[in-house]
Amino acid sequence: MLEMLEIFKNGNKLLGMNARNLDYIRPYNRKRAKRLADDKILSKRMLKRGGIPVPKLLAKIKSVEELEDFDWTSLPSSFALKPNRGYGGGGILVVYGRKKPSRKDILKCEEGEIPQPVWVKSDGKTITVDDIKNHILNILDGAFSLANMPDIAFFEERLTLLKLFKPYAYKGIPDIRVIVFNRIPVMAMLRLPTKESGGKANLQQGGIGVGIDLATGVTTTAVLGKGNIIDYVPGTRMLLSGIKIPYWKEMLLLAVKAQEVSGMGFLGADVAIDRERGPVFLEINARPGLSIQVANLSGLKERLERIKGLKIKTAARGVRVGRDLFGGEVEEEVEEISGRKVIGTIEKIKLIGRNNKTVELEAKIDTGAGFTSIDTDLAEQLGFEDTVREYQKIESTYSDIIHLSKKERWSIYKHIPHLESTVVVNSASGSTYRPTIKITVVMDGVIIPTKVTLINRAHLKYPIIIGKRNLKKFLIDVSK
Amino acid sequence: MIQNLPVGRQGSKLEIQNLLDPMENVSPLIKYFIEQGVPLDTVILLLILPIVVTLIAFFRQVIGIKAFGIYTPAIVTFAFLAIPQLRYGVLIFCVVILVGMLLRFALKGLRILYLPRVAITLSIIAFSILILLSVGGAMQRTGLAAVSIFPILIMITIVEKFVAAQIEKGNRAAVILAIETLIISLVGYYLASWPALIKGIVAFPWMILITIPINIFLGKWDGLRLNEYIRFREVLKNLK
Repeated sequence: MLEMLEIFKNGNKLLGMNARNLDYIRPYNRKRAKRLADDKILSKRMLKRGGIPVPKLLAKIKSVEELEDFDWTSLPSSFALKPNRGYGGGGILVVYGRKKPSRKDILKCEEGEIPQPVWVKSDGKTITVDDIKNHILNILDGAFSLANMPDIAFFEERLTLLKLFKPYAYKGIPDIRVIVFNRIPVMAMLRLPTKESGGKANLQQGGIGVGIDLATGVTTTAVLGKGNIIDYVPGTRMLLSGIKIPYWKEMLLLAVKAQEVSGMGFLGADVAIDRERGPVFLEINARPGLSIQVANLSGLKERLERIKGLKIKTAARGVRVGRDLFGGEVEEEVEEISGRKVIGTIEKIKLIGRNNKTVELEAKIDTGAGFTSIDTDLAEQLGFEDTVREYQKIESTYSDIIHLSKKERWSIYKHIPHLESTVVVNSASGSTYRPTIKITVVMDGVIIPTKVTLINRAHLKYPIIIGKRNLKKFLIDVSK
Repeated sequence: MIQNLPVGRQGSKLEIQNLLDPMENVSPLIKYFIEQGVPLDTVILLLILPIVVTLIAFFRQVIGIKAFGIYTPAIVTFAFLAIPQLRYGVLIFCVVILVGMLLRFALKGLRILYLPRVAITLSIIAFSILILLSVGGAMQRTGLAAVSIFPILIMITIVEKFVAAQIEKGNRAAVILAIETLIISLVGYYLASWPALIKGIVAFPWMILITIPINIFLGKWDGLRLNEYIRFREVLKNLK
């Protein structure tokens, strides 16, 4: 009984159909903006004007006359043919290359005439100008448009598949769906076309959706079709979690910018990555699906409610807020699995010195250093004034004492109060002989009692670097 | 006039004259309608309509059963009510959907436009129903052949909704929607032929007005639908 109550309480965090339509689409997406989203050519133009990269429009055909007069040799060797008001990926024809005209084709032609081009589809079958004409007639007739309205056909640049995605995608191009609300990216997933979905990345058609951690752009859970959780690409051993999406920040930025251009408050933005061009914006969706919640094992409603009414001035700020608020699932997971904390290259730490004197500051994480080193000024703040004073009196340099025996060297330093030991430190600026003191470092909640070397770091940005010896309990994420 | 009810056929659940025999507890409003020459079954069906459509709205918004919009399940409910034996109604419904499904594959190769395609589908379904009725007659199932033409026509025309769903959402989704339509229509049928409800409407016709606040509530209901608890079960398990 209690469990049931719990489920109903948690249901409040999820966005269902009713809430999506009533609380988000209706108040935030005006009719005019929705119409824009349904018109691919118009939205392409609007997005382009807003400085968002879109697949290039090669040509459009509005009527049968235009179709008859069309110059087929003007088309490149690969392109996509689409209905302007198509939905669910219907009526899209993609050709991958032009077939060289055979001798026979050339002989058939009159003198001085160029043979009609022939293209190759993804399944290897050839397709002639007549086939394409027939397809376009169907598009013009409205065979693929909502409510069978007469439509426009257009040719568009074909995007090329990123090498990274090759083993995961069946034909087609994977894309990234980002839900954007109030200029903030709220949730994202990678959509992979499968054999069942016929090369379309649409979940309803049987594609795979993979949740993405907003902060890092690393994939998390995968869902096949509308509800089954999977670990691998069906029929393979390709693990779906842990894929790092390239251009992550740029893609989020594109999604938020597209929201600004579209005039809609709540939308699904679809972005793909082209091998040459990088992130390319595909389309805006006024009624984004809800399965993204399954792929992320997380509720949209809870997230949307948290950012309702926030005043976000710029797209970059929105992206930052989204990543901060809704990212981090992966990090926690990595920490859980490895038993180590994930830290960045600059980390806020607390130092505890003599007589419990504490200093809080930012430290540089340096995996190239063995020992942790602290600046002499910092050591003074930590209650080692005597130590520093005595240390600075000693003028012998590294080359002076390197030939001495260990015992002789120690005798130079041993009168310094609170000294722990002395060590040789090899760094980029040459080797030095340094005394060490004992302090406690608190980093990301982990308490590390340790020896640190003393050195004058006054000319450096960070008065402390944390070296390898103290990093055993951590993983370092350079993007943090 | 109560004796000449067209719906009060033998075997039908809607034997209104039997229910009203003692003429007890009839609201003055109902009496007024009857005095003006409105047939009693028309009065009852028109008053039951708000209940049936509210039921359909409830199924969509709270349970998550979609069906083909609101018109189709409502009209199928009334078609069922007008057919003497429910099983024949269900049989005709299933045959219409089945033939519609098979024709989709048969007509795929033709690549023809929407309306001509629906026209061909409707024609062939009409022939199929004719064959069904005659087979029923040959098997001494006289009840089948006795089904009046309007419920049959209603059932045939719902195939347009089915074909539209096939095109927009695919075959599987269309079949699911058809099954959902059947389920809602059956629930609607049993509700509309529930004697206590009919007695209640006859006694207190104003009661029907509560469907309006109910629908206002349904129209503002933004909680999860019941089927969404199933769809999102994995997420619900993971939320803390």
